[in-house]
Amino acid sequence: MLERFAKKIGYDDPLEVYLSKLQALVYGDYPLSRRSIALLLLQEDKDVLDLIKDKEKERLDEILKIVGEAGAHYSHPLTYIIGQRRQEEANRICDAAISFKERQRVTLRERLSKVLMNPFTGGPILLFVLYYGLYKFVGTFGAGVLVDFMEDKVFGEYISPFMINLVKSTLPFKLLQDLLIGEYGIITLGVRYAMAIILPIVATFFFAFAVVEDTGYLPRLAMLIDQLFKKIGLSGRAVIPMVLGLGCDTMATMVTRTLPTKRERIIATLLLALAIPCSAQMGVILALLGDNPLGLVVWLGVIILVFLVVGFLAAKIMPGELPTFYMEIPPLRLPHLSNILRKTYSRLRWYFWEILPLFIFASVFIWLGQITGIFNVLVRILEHPVRWIGLPSEAGVAFLFGFFRRDYGAAGLYDLKKAGLLSGNQLVVASVTLTLFLPCIAQLLMNIKERGMRMGMVMSVFILWFSFTVGYLLNIILTLLNLQL
Amino acid sequence: MRKIAIVGSPNVGKSVMFNNLTGAYATVSNYPGTTVEVSRGKAKIGNEDFEIIDTPGMYSLLPISEEEKVSRDILLKEKPCAILHIVDAKNIERMLPLTLQLLEAGLPVILVLNIMDEAKRLGINIDVNSLEKELKISVVATVSTSGEGMDILRGKIEEHVRAFC
Repeated sequence: MLERFAKKIGYDDPLEVYLSKLQALVYGDYPLSRRSIALLLLQEDKDVLDLIKDKEKERLDEILKIVGEAGAHYSHPLTYIIGQRRQEEANRICDAAISFKERQRVTLRERLSKVLMNPFTGGPILLFVLYYGLYKFVGTFGAGVLVDFMEDKVFGEYISPFMINLVKSTLPFKLLQDLLIGEYGIITLGVRYAMAIILPIVATFFFAFAVVEDTGYLPRLAMLIDQLFKKIGLSGRAVIPMVLGLGCDTMATMVTRTLPTKRERIIATLLLALAIPCSAQMGVILALLGDNPLGLVVWLGVIILVFLVVGFLAAKIMPGELPTFYMEIPPLRLPHLSNILRKTYSRLRWYFWEILPLFIFASVFIWLGQITGIFNVLVRILEHPVRWIGLPSEAGVAFLFGFFRRDYGAAGLYDLKKAGLLSGNQLVVASVTLTLFLPCIAQLLMNIKERGMRMGMVMSVFILWFSFTVGYLLNIILTLLNLQL
Repeated sequence: MRKIAIVGSPNVGKSVMFNNLTGAYATVSNYPGTTVEVSRGKAKIGNEDFEIIDTPGMYSLLPISEEEKVSRDILLKEKPCAILHIVDAKNIERMLPLTLQLLEAGLPVILVLNIMDEAKRLGINIDVNSLEKELKISVVATVSTSGEGMDILRGKIEEHVRAFC
């Protein structure tokens, strides 16, 4: 059937001669027509070569000889010659089938597109998008208004008192009561963190992100910061996983597959794990530092600095070709509200069902740890590095949470802040450390899955050490400069 | 169950097409490379159930990146009975070479000219019959985001399956 339906494009005479010689030597049963196999052979396709090695053992030398001769006959690579001929054919077909009406003047869309990609106009627009989309909508509205409402009203006035009464009246055992409604209980901590703190923040972020995504802004952003990214060994193409990482680093790590070189993929994975805060984290950090603009600027400055320095060093350590950048720029489009809502919902559902069991598991784990005393031992061990970066020992618990998920840890800090236990400087240091800190368990697993066990582990150890070192240095610098944030 | 694969360059609306056919939901975005893993779903076309496979974007049958290789492997190993090659009608000239490669390989292709609304807005007029005659395959014009042309596409798939599978 393959042979019957295969459409023939004529190539130039010498190439046709090589093709028919090759086709005559290819006997095996293939999922592609013999002509197509011959063409892929001429273009030195590795998979097809492997197939041939397997199926045409006796004729292998002869086949390779012809491929070599064909390559030597042309001054350009055969991929180019063949591709060019196909394009000619495509153009011929299109010329017959396509007609153009009078082309309108430069459209508004195109003008807007240029404005977005120009550094002088695109830069301010980026700041505008970040300020209103991220800071105002996610930070102030999501992490402020919505979280307050869920925490103080929904949980504070209704769910928590109701559940506490219910549990106390039905479960007479203090131990079991603690599991459900204790300081770290499933309902009072796990479910509350998930529903009252993380959910509103992530929902607003996913919504804002979906709008930006569907307009076609991201590829233009990629063009805008391509030059900067080249300096840290990445191409503008890496902007997409990076920006996606602001949503969820785990998903973004998977998307690094679209990067063309292994080197770029490693650098991007490291930067995602280290310096790109995910939506949940960022939301909680906006909530932590939202009323402290100077602190927020310091946090942002340190994270960007780390991003650039680590990227630059990684690019130096792993020498390789400078990435070339080529990307489709899709048109600017008005987003469909239905697609945005659907996408927000589907991401939110995925995200929520992933964190809720983990949060509940963490509560159970801590409960078990408290019964056996392991919890206190771990907290006491963590208190050392925590005090080392100038934080009160209570923050040790937040960092222990951080091992489960960084957002869980950040939510723990949020609780501490509400209790008035952290000063401005301490909040900034803690936020920086926790942002850089080990990725959540899901991302750790994804790193190992995508980059291999060794690379995944090396990265994790490096990140653990690095995050506390930066926190330590930041604390010292702030103290030396006598800065009160 | 017979299989139908959706292939094409990045950002031409493959995932929207997948959603339309299956009623499932694969994430859709306005930038290339959203789909890095293969989605599978079921669709009833005519009276038959098909497995629909959404693939990561590919520019050529000669893969450069990992996702392109994934897509090619699906075409070669899973032997779908129809391959919907989705192209952006605005950039058909740039995308037709892949159609030609698929046809050279003898694969059962249906060409789908998607995003016709934007092409029309740019004043691009495409003669579907002329393309069908040149390529000797079914060609359908669609706007996947609004669903325009989907019924015609389903009809063409039925015809295609009756004739070739």
